[in-house]
Amino acid sequence: MLNIEEIQAILPQRFPFLMIDRVIELEPGKKVVAIKNVSINEQFFNGHFPGSPVMPGVLIVEAMAQASIVLFFASKDLAKDKKMAYYLGSVKVRFLHPVLPGDQLKITVEPLKMLSNIGIVNVSAEVAGKEVAKGEISLSAKEIS
Amino acid sequence: MDNLEMEIKNLIAEIIEKDPNEITLQAKFFEDLGVDSMMALEIMAAIEKKYKISIPEEKLAQMTTLADTITVAKEYLVNKEVTNA
Repeated sequence: MLNIEEIQAILPQRFPFLMIDRVIELEPGKKVVAIKNVSINEQFFNGHFPGSPVMPGVLIVEAMAQASIVLFFASKDLAKDKKMAYYLGSVKVRFLHPVLPGDQLKITVEPLKMLSNIGIVNVSAEVAGKEVAKGEISLSAKEIS
Repeated sequence: MDNLEMEIKNLIAEIIEKDPNEITLQAKFFEDLGVDSMMALEIMAAIEKKYKISIPEEKLAQMTTLADTITVAKEYLVNKEVTNA
């Protein structure tokens, strides 16, 4: 399990773009399960949509991508003092149900194919046991300093 | 053109979003077709998935044209048949 301090040591993203709150399961190279608590206080709900708050699908993808970075990081044992840049290469995700304020997103990432600096992963998000989004994304990592 | 060639050509075309006709046997993925390392990995993963084979990482560097990709795929398809026999 990783708490938010440990997540922040890995992920470069910060407010308002840190899309996972906790990692509840981590098997390096095999699997990561992360949690994102969705609150009505999220600023994107202001505009998406007024009077009808729905979490934007792209932000579910972002949460999936961030969980993937954690998997990547843990799998490849990239040193923590290196500054890394992460790139999203492709996204194939289907959205099955809307995600609303009060929902807890549980994101599971498992690698399909992972090399030293690029990977393709299977991603899935569920709320209370119901799958809300699933797909496949590819990403790469590069040391920048 | 045999079946395997056509299947792999179409699969690559879909991943790199090009017309299959542009993907000739000798067209170079990186120089001629604008393929990047992530797409190359996706091509490898798609072939593995379609033919239920497993291609080792180091073969990726050899898969730089359609012809080379078919050669690599064939190598593992043959292995698979041998294993199944």
